[in-house]
Amino acid sequence: MSTPEADLRRAAIARRVVYLLLAVAIVATTLVPTEMKVVPSPLSRKVYDRLEAMPAGSPILFSFDYDPSSKEELYPMSLALLRHAFRRGLRPIVMTHWLNGVGLCKELVERTAKEAGKESGQDFVFLAYKPGGSNLLLNMGESLKGAFDKDFYGKPTEGMPALKGVGSLRDIPVVVGIAAGGTTEMLIAYGRDRFGFDLGAGCTAVIAPDLYPFLQSDQLFGLLGGLRGAADYETLIGRPDTGVKGMPAQSVAHILIIALVAGANVYVFLIRRPRRKEA
Amino acid sequence: MLYKRAIPLIIVFVMGLLAFVHEFVPHPLSAAFREEMTTWFRIIGGFGMFIGLYSLLHMHATRIRRKQLGWGYSLFVFLGALGMIVLGLVNEPHGPLGSAPEDGTVFDWFYMNVQVPCGATIFSLLAFFMASAAFRTFRARNLDAALLLGAAVIVMFGRIPLSAMISDVFPQAADVLLEYPNLAAKRGILLGISLGAISQSLRILFGIERSYLGGGSE
Amino acid sequence: MAPPSQPVRNTRQRVVESAVLVGCALAFLAACLLVRWPEAGPKKLSAEGLGIFVAAGLTLIIYSFLYRDNPLFKLAENLYVGVSLGYGAVMTWYLSLKPEVVDPLVFAPSRAALLDALAHRTVPILMGILLLTRLSRQHGWLSRYAYTIMVGWGAGIGIPIVVHSYILKQLGPSVRPLGGGFWDVAGGLAILVGTVTVLFYFFFSVEHKGPGRAVSRVGIWFLMLAFGASFGYTVMARVSLLIGRVHFLIGDWLGLRP
Repeated sequence: MSTPEADLRRAAIARRVVYLLLAVAIVATTLVPTEMKVVPSPLSRKVYDRLEAMPAGSPILFSFDYDPSSKEELYPMSLALLRHAFRRGLRPIVMTHWLNGVGLCKELVERTAKEAGKESGQDFVFLAYKPGGSNLLLNMGESLKGAFDKDFYGKPTEGMPALKGVGSLRDIPVVVGIAAGGTTEMLIAYGRDRFGFDLGAGCTAVIAPDLYPFLQSDQLFGLLGGLRGAADYETLIGRPDTGVKGMPAQSVAHILIIALVAGANVYVFLIRRPRRKEA
Repeated sequence: MLYKRAIPLIIVFVMGLLAFVHEFVPHPLSAAFREEMTTWFRIIGGFGMFIGLYSLLHMHATRIRRKQLGWGYSLFVFLGALGMIVLGLVNEPHGPLGSAPEDGTVFDWFYMNVQVPCGATIFSLLAFFMASAAFRTFRARNLDAALLLGAAVIVMFGRIPLSAMISDVFPQAADVLLEYPNLAAKRGILLGISLGAISQSLRILFGIERSYLGGGSE
Repeated sequence: MAPPSQPVRNTRQRVVESAVLVGCALAFLAACLLVRWPEAGPKKLSAEGLGIFVAAGLTLIIYSFLYRDNPLFKLAENLYVGVSLGYGAVMTWYLSLKPEVVDPLVFAPSRAALLDALAHRTVPILMGILLLTRLSRQHGWLSRYAYTIMVGWGAGIGIPIVVHSYILKQLGPSVRPLGGGFWDVAGGLAILVGTVTVLFYFFFSVEHKGPGRAVSRVGIWFLMLAFGASFGYTVMARVSLLIGRVHFLIGDWLGLRP
């Protein structure tokens, strides 16, 4: 007969075995160089096609709304998007609604701009952050320079070449929001439906299923979901990076978890229960 | 009392009515009003940060003062917070009245090498807990649980590149699951939440819902 | 974060665990010194290199929680909370308060600009200060004036926006004419049936019996499929976070990945 102490010890061992299996699976797959062909999903392709169709010099707003806790999922897709935008000669206007994400956003913009040889104020503008959320979007919809009179580096936005012809959100044809929380819904309701721009989204895999209603209603033109979305986009722009490199480990981890759950169900329903019934 | 409860509730109603009505008024005054209000909230929102800062530091200070269990760790909260504030305001060479700290500063170093790795790692722990919880508790005990388990397996397998290498059926099955039953259910939930949000907004405007007023003497 | 339930440890276990902890710390230092430092040299250890060591150390300390809650983990956790708080406060100063309050009023470029700032910013600044009185038990009622303006505005403007974007724009695609091929019709019907049955399931004012029970059951099946899909995606999300950290440890810290 099992005691509570023995049950606790068994549970602790089972838990740690699962942790170890998962860690070994991911570490081993990371250490062994493996190439895995990524076939981009139709939804990722729609985001790519929309940016690809934009004429050079078009302004595009990127709202990178995440912080370090979602960095591993969203930074790779943000990197791929900015690389694509700079390669197409677009004028990225970069901001974030998350205070603790400003540093990540800054590092991302500076890194991609340096790679592409782009200059702040001339080829792109980093607006960083202002509080307000939906009210900030309403403000930007009336006057972008009123909402952000200076960029992150303290340069006045008035007269800035990167914002030439951009008075408000109505003058921006495409916005892409990368979200770890509810900012996509906010961009839809307080941005896209009011000011008429086309909205694409990237998000953590947790919230991706929640955005499908907006895809069907054409309130979103495309969706990048999680690290797989990043891998899709890197494949489309021809620059495999963190997303693509993470796919072998992702595959192995998923198969491991499926096997663990299936195995546990087989054991409980086909082995342990019949034994208990016999007893 | 009039100025502690009645006047605030009147303000809620009037502001809400103005916000609602101005949406349907195309006059330039209406747009100017909206721009003024949104500017106000941009400024007020900046002050809200300090409520959170004070509350958290006060909680840890109380823990230190009363020598509660784990009070020593609260010292590190202060160390981290005050250290970052000092580094951020020193902000060489610009100082506290210049532009925000840039790349290469000690402030930025702590952000990239303490905050970012800690934040990312703490949330990555969930992968282990999720795998362990799924192994120990995810059982197809009845039809509902079997549907949930089946859907999870289809999506987990369909979303990895390996599945497309075996057959296109797997990613397509995941797509069908997401674009039809998942979409329908999420739309139903979205509609329900939206109706609830409208109901709650009306309760706030008419003064039925007053929890945002907080405690205080009345 | 509450630790998972743990069996009681005896003295021998404590000694073994302490020895393992010391061993891990020495292994970490050895990995830093032997793997990375020889490339840079002691005099050339840059801020970036030191940053990678610190980040790797904190990462491993946080992963030690998987074995057991421990003082090092609590230290790292509390340090993270403090650093995040301080970062948020500093960024609020530079990105919000300074450009919105200090610069327009204290460093106004002209008299006209100062008067404009006084006209448009005095009231919100006063509201912001009133907001802070929330922390006082005696004067906390003053904060209601600031909160009521924000809450009233948010509630009022939210109603037409929610109706337009989340209700009307969502109802339209749900009731599209059932035209097109067989699969288009089947898909459209599935979405319509699913949306209606799920909405009915959440309508708890009416008892779900008879035909209502059948409708509710169908709603539950749609919900189970949706939650299963969400669970599958959630697994993907969490595993992705772990993969990112492992890539950092193996690639950036140990330099083992190409």
